Amino acid sequence: MKNTLRQVFHSPKFVAGFVIFALILLTMIIYPLFNPGNPLEQIGVGTFAKPGTYVSLYDAAKSPTETLRLADANDKRIASRLSDSDRVEMVEWFKIMNVSVEGLDISDTDALIDLWSANYDPSVRPQGMTNAKVNYYKRLNNQINELRSGDSILIADYDDEGNLIESKKISSEDYVNTKSVANVKFLPLGTDNFGRDVLKELVSATGTSIRIGLIAGIVATLIGLTFGLLAGYVGGVLDDVIMFVTNIFTVIPSFVLLILITYSLGQEQRGATVVATVIGFTSWTWTARSVRSQVISLRNRDHVNLSKLSGHSLLRIVLMDILPYIASYVVMAFILQVSSGILAEAQLSLLGLGPKTTQVPTLGLMMNWAMLYSAHTNGSWWAYFPVILVISLISFSLNLMNTGLDQVFNPTLRD
Amino acid sequence: MKKLIALLLAVVMMFSLVACGDTPADENSGNNDGNVVADNNDANTDDNAGEVGDGTADDNNEVAPVGNDDVLPREETLYFAGQQWGAVNSWNPIGTNQNNAMAIASGVGWRETMFETLYMWNALDGKLYGLLANDDYAWNDDMTQLTLTIKDAAKWSDGTAVTAADVKRTFDVGIEIGNGVAGSYGAYIDSMEADGNKLTINAKLNDAGQPVNPLKILDFLVLQAIAQEKWIDTCYERNNGDATAILNDPADDVVWSGPYTKYFSDDQKVVLVRDDNYWGQDASMWGSLPVPKYLAHNIYADNAAGEVALKAGEVDVCQQFIGNVQNLWLEDGLPISTYYDEAPYGICLTMPTAWFNMNIPVIAENAALRRAIAMAVDYDSIIANAMTNQSPSFSEVPRSLMNPTAGEQALYNQSEVADLQFAGNDVEGAKALLDEAGIVDTDGDGWREYNGEKISLNAVCPNGWSDWQASMEIVAAAGEKIGVEITTLYPEYDIYQTVFVDPNQTEYAIFMWSPDASTPSNPWTRVNQFMGMDYVGIQNNWSGNWGQYKNEEADALIKQIPLTTDETELKRLYTELTRIYLTEVPSFSLMYRPSMFHTVNESVWTNYPADDGRNIPPADCTDGYGIRALYELQLVG
Repeated sequence: MKNTLRQVFHSPKFVAGFVIFALILLTMIIYPLFNPGNPLEQIGVGTFAKPGTYVSLYDAAKSPTETLRLADANDKRIASRLSDSDRVEMVEWFKIMNVSVEGLDISDTDALIDLWSANYDPSVRPQGMTNAKVNYYKRLNNQINELRSGDSILIADYDDEGNLIESKKISSEDYVNTKSVANVKFLPLGTDNFGRDVLKELVSATGTSIRIGLIAGIVATLIGLTFGLLAGYVGGVLDDVIMFVTNIFTVIPSFVLLILITYSLGQEQRGATVVATVIGFTSWTWTARSVRSQVISLRNRDHVNLSKLSGHSLLRIVLMDILPYIASYVVMAFILQVSSGILAEAQLSLLGLGPKTTQVPTLGLMMNWAMLYSAHTNGSWWAYFPVILVISLISFSLNLMNTGLDQVFNPTLRD
Repeated sequence: MKKLIALLLAVVMMFSLVACGDTPADENSGNNDGNVVADNNDANTDDNAGEVGDGTADDNNEVAPVGNDDVLPREETLYFAGQQWGAVNSWNPIGTNQNNAMAIASGVGWRETMFETLYMWNALDGKLYGLLANDDYAWNDDMTQLTLTIKDAAKWSDGTAVTAADVKRTFDVGIEIGNGVAGSYGAYIDSMEADGNKLTINAKLNDAGQPVNPLKILDFLVLQAIAQEKWIDTCYERNNGDATAILNDPADDVVWSGPYTKYFSDDQKVVLVRDDNYWGQDASMWGSLPVPKYLAHNIYADNAAGEVALKAGEVDVCQQFIGNVQNLWLEDGLPISTYYDEAPYGICLTMPTAWFNMNIPVIAENAALRRAIAMAVDYDSIIANAMTNQSPSFSEVPRSLMNPTAGEQALYNQSEVADLQFAGNDVEGAKALLDEAGIVDTDGDGWREYNGEKISLNAVCPNGWSDWQASMEIVAAAGEKIGVEITTLYPEYDIYQTVFVDPNQTEYAIFMWSPDASTPSNPWTRVNQFMGMDYVGIQNNWSGNWGQYKNEEADALIKQIPLTTDETELKRLYTELTRIYLTEVPSFSLMYRPSMFHTVNESVWTNYPADDGRNIPPADCTDGYGIRALYELQLVG
């Protein structure tokens, strides 16, 4: 046993796969300790908040300020409001309005803005200009007005009589240390369509998906192993019957079967465990077949015959004399079953046939909702791309482990 | 072997990519040589070429290929999205199940492209604009009779005049064969009398000798497309008067009065072509022809496909709900605009509503439970999430039976019901209400019981209707907060639509559907849908009161409204009904939803309806008075 393990851990492929998988597992366990709470809690009210750090404006406005005179602050401010293409569009407007732009340097912000405010009239709609363009100029004008609005922003409150009184003046040189702001929320992967923290959901979903994979793998391997052992060792009529059933299941595409079963179960019944079990029940056939063929080659070995002569029971022979010889193979098959179980859940959920949505997050459900809300067309990559990455990493690491094991245990592949 | 398979797969993939790339390439070529191709296309051919020729000005017999390899000149074609799903079944204006969204359909008003109504509905100002009929229609004093005259200029595509007899025949045949006319107007219109151009509509009278509902007669004027008497007779004879056969007649020989007619249709796209002999170019109507020569609608697989096509400029007018639509111009910088340039971007005329199923005893017996659930729901979340803020919130427009337009809001007295108008997310209030009603958690499992049994409800809407699904998730979350178990359930639409219209169903406890948006008879129709007892117990009920709510008092008030002309009295009735609705909560609206909205890509056409004082509703450029937009479009540049 010790020797086997040492062998296994000498396979670089297995080690690489194992490390990736262990890291994923570790994140799953450790991350919730730092960021506890319900992963399905809707913290954002809108859809798809971008990844980044969110600072409470309310708290920031009331936090103590420091005055910093940064040389490039104003340039940055202008650049964020007035891009180069905006400047070109402003010149377009001047041309339409027959304003002379001779000698105008579009990088000279002050001159440009002065000319703009002298010549822009929001009520004018030039002939043939599209509505989209008219709206663009209106927005541009608002931005320019903000730039022109001076160096400070006033914050006012209502007093008891309902009059506005100035409570604070924020100058353009006031800065707040994020440490002194009471509420700062870091959302490394933003929020999803329901306003949930994607990273937190992703970690929890990975756990659920791995659990689904494990249940599916255990179910499939147990069924496949039992059938394979019985058919291979007992043979005869039992073998025929079992192989008959197995063949039927083999010719029906298992994914179609999976869709039909989950669909007919109805959403009420579809918890994560149920879905996992169904996946297991539809993917045991090839384990059964290959276990059977290996058992057939083992059943006439001397030690098996010896056990038979000693009068050992069928169960004991199968468990003690046959199973250990195919154990390495079964472990490898199990790993593949786990991997395909995770993928099957993702595929099912993507079709809207996954586990019920409100109870647990799963990787497939996250992709399903991202797709329903067209995250792929509106550029919200954070809602689906990390999910795809995690799914690929899990199956990649599992497959890598499997290949590593194969190289260790399969004599024809052994170095 | 593996290599071979990989190679084969690669080849297959390349072929499919090439095949996918075909269509856009074609359309580009259309862009390049637009006008030259246009001349060839004037003589169109498909199955329908014969009678298209009857109407179009340039009747030459040249044959141009029409189909997927057909090239519509881009500068003469207005492309739509969001209306037509699947192939057209028929062009039969008196049939049913036409699946013909470009010609036989209604949005906010009737789609006036091929078949026209007597009047055009403008939901912006709530007025009727004359189309086939002259502007002035007149009621007699007790509103039992309405008279109107057909315009002298109004002609059918075969050149004959539109007469009052056509209207009468359209109505009569509808009643006889049982198409939409019978269902919508059979109970309200008794008969019609035609005398040349003059039409008299006699209202059905109730036992007291009053008209049942004069408002529904106005609906007929703006929503019922008129078919030609002669053509109806032809259709009637060839089907030997068999109602089913008439309803399903493909009507390839149909005669129309509108500015467009069928040009091409298959399961990929539907195209209408302008009828250059259209009567409406007469000075008494529009004074010109509509601008685009073709109206085309590619059939997309789903909303996402339509949205992608809109972004690419392959679609001009898109009437699909697009979440965060502002990103199209703010972030993507596309030449796309909407009716309003700020939220809600369109005009909200209806409220998607969650209906309580009164067949379930615990719901029917506990108004407190109904109200508590409705109070606890976080509507701001629904509006921000499902609607991406394209809807006013319930604190901006407090809930009632009315849509958020100023006209309807003025119809009830808000101050009288202000204390009943819950804005949502009131978990403590809801808990207190339940405690007071004695619906409490007796066994300590965190869920409340009623008569010793745990209350367990489901919240249901069709699968894939993502904005509604998000709303149902939020309703379920509200249930959890107040200790009432609500689980979500998303059956497929084909199952959903058979269950929720069943008056005896107990499968769905809380389920979603939208009441009517805007017609001349609203808000009455909507109020009737919320609480009217006409609909209780009707099999296959698509009409209203899907929760089977019964309230004699409310029903009596609803019945009075159509006969009330005094504005103060009308306001009193609506206010009283609002009070009952908000106390009893037989259903609760989840959001206000834009019904009149469009997203337009202005890379080819511009001057679409916008909030610029022209008073043209953004009704898909085709519905009711919204068709005016087609006369105002301009090419960009």
